[in-house]
Amino acid sequence: MIELFDVTRRFGDETAVDRISLRVERGEFCVLVGTSGCGKSTTLRMINRLIEHSEGEIHLDGQPIRDFPEDQLRRRIGYAIQSTGLFPHWTVARNIGLVPRLLQWSGSRIQDRVEALMALLGLPPEFAHKYPHQLSGGQAQRVGVARALAADPDILLMDEPFGALDPITRQTLQVELRDLQDRLDKTIVFVTHDMDEALALADRLVVMHEGRIVQQGSPIELLRAPADDFVASLLGGDDRGLKEAALVRVGERMQPITPKVGEAPWVSREATLNQALSLMLWHQTRHLLVVDDADAPVGRLSLDALLQKAHHE
Amino acid sequence: MSEAAFNGPGSVNGRSRWRFAVPLIWLTALLLLAVGMTTLEPLFRLFEPDLRQVIYDREHFWVLLGEHVLMVAVAALLATCVGVAAAVAVTRAAGRDFMPMVAQLASIGQTFPPVAVLALAVPVLGFGTVPLIVALLLYGLLPIVRNTLAGIQGISAEVLEAARGMGMTPRQVLLQVELPLAAPVILAGIRTSVTVNVATAALGATVGASNLGDPIISGIVNGNTAYIIQGAVMIGLLALTVDSLFEQLQPGVPGQSSGAQSGQG
Ligand SMILES: Nc1ncnc2c1ncn2[C@@H]1O[C@H](COP(=O)(O)OP(=O)(O)OP(=O)(O)O)[C@@H](O)[C@H]1O
Ligand SMILES: [Mg+2]
Repeated sequence: MIELFDVTRRFGDETAVDRISLRVERGEFCVLVGTSGCGKSTTLRMINRLIEHSEGEIHLDGQPIRDFPEDQLRRRIGYAIQSTGLFPHWTVARNIGLVPRLLQWSGSRIQDRVEALMALLGLPPEFAHKYPHQLSGGQAQRVGVARALAADPDILLMDEPFGALDPITRQTLQVELRDLQDRLDKTIVFVTHDMDEALALADRLVVMHEGRIVQQGSPIELLRAPADDFVASLLGGDDRGLKEAALVRVGERMQPITPKVGEAPWVSREATLNQALSLMLWHQTRHLLVVDDADAPVGRLSLDALLQKAHHE
Repeated sequence: MSEAAFNGPGSVNGRSRWRFAVPLIWLTALLLLAVGMTTLEPLFRLFEPDLRQVIYDREHFWVLLGEHVLMVAVAALLATCVGVAAAVAVTRAAGRDFMPMVAQLASIGQTFPPVAVLALAVPVLGFGTVPLIVALLLYGLLPIVRNTLAGIQGISAEVLEAARGMGMTPRQVLLQVELPLAAPVILAGIRTSVTVNVATAALGATVGASNLGDPIISGIVNGNTAYIIQGAVMIGLLALTVDSLFEQLQPGVPGQSSGAQSGQG
């Protein structure tokens, strides 16, 4: 659990972070969003003490972070940044194994862990001996994420970790990360500029503006009731309807009747409502056949069902 | 990405096995001359046909060479220790205030003519090897300090942030990240320092530090061009040997442009 109580950080006369309070429960996925320079990275770095807070208190599992020696605190907290900061003179494998080595794991345990992480992040084994400058931006980011996960920390701080990835890899990693977090109960604080990414990942979405938190809550809460015009426009303005539809699965809205096969264009049960809507627009139809993972028909989704249910959510 | 175009740091060993050929050639020439200068007597006779003695013989050339190398090596070792330590100290958070002062001192060290340093050192330290080594140390400090500073400051802020963020102690950051990444630039500084001092050390002869400068000074005093040439050629070959050796030692660290700043400004 991470708690921030009235935390402030000043750089000279400028207040980068202004009396923010935030509580991230154990196993919660917290995403910080906001315009450039609003203090997201500063907030993140204060949690692992790369930047000291000027005022207020930050607690980790109820204990002030200043009670821990800095380096020990940081070894418990995974940290991934957009620019990766991989060590140019170390191989990929050595970079990933950094924190386990600092924690003095045995050589074979480190090697096993590195191999497992490379597989998890879709890095081919032969990459182990490459150097960072031989990697593409996206590959380097995956190595950066692997390094952050290496010692299996309970807490992960991630500052635009998928910034340089293509949409497909990005989505794969989002699913991976979400999955990892669900399975292993990680507490994650994540910064992104990609609102779709934020909405898809967040349990708690935190909107920052000029060093303050203007609103926080679940993605649906924020989409439904933005505190002000700034939050509304940041979350997508008039696209908010579609953004919300992207958070609901077709399976939740379909009518579980066995449809006639070949009746209509089909959509996966796992797809989101905005994808279903897009298919309806594309095929100029009001009905979609819903299929399961094995492509077997399991139900039917009508435009009315899609719209109606959305109203009394 | 082409495999052929890239070589990791492991390639230092993988480079051509002839890589030490050039330094070896210079070294062989140097050693042959050191033991067999007398065989070239007819040649030096051409320069000074009227003089009785054309080969410097107050000391064996190999002894002079050995002493020359020793003096430069000791000075280089001291300059490296002091220079790197000073540069490291002023790049730590605690020492940052002293950065301009150290940079300035090191520059002044080089603008000061070594002859003047020698002249000033003799009254304090007496004649002999010690004042020479002090002069060489001061003179060789600048390129090492400057390159160590440049090497450490040239490391990307993200790498350092990651190093700290992963939980490395300041000492681990220095030893495992900063120094290895700065090493090529530091080595370039040491190379400049040593090469310049191989020549500068010849001045030692004027304060009684016996080395390859002896034949030169003696040649000047006695009007014997052959002596001067013998000393100068030996010093030149030594400089070439040392410089080409450093060139081969220069590691190529990936991600860091090696030798981006060579010491000679
Ligand atoms: N080390 C520093 N020294 C001085 N000012 C800083 C420092 N770090 C951040 N700031 C200032 O603090 C403010 C917040 O910066 P921060 O990096 O937290 O923004 P951000 O929300 O992460 O922005 P972005 O989305 O562009 O990454 C900015 O105005 C920035 O100029
Ligand atoms: Mg930022």
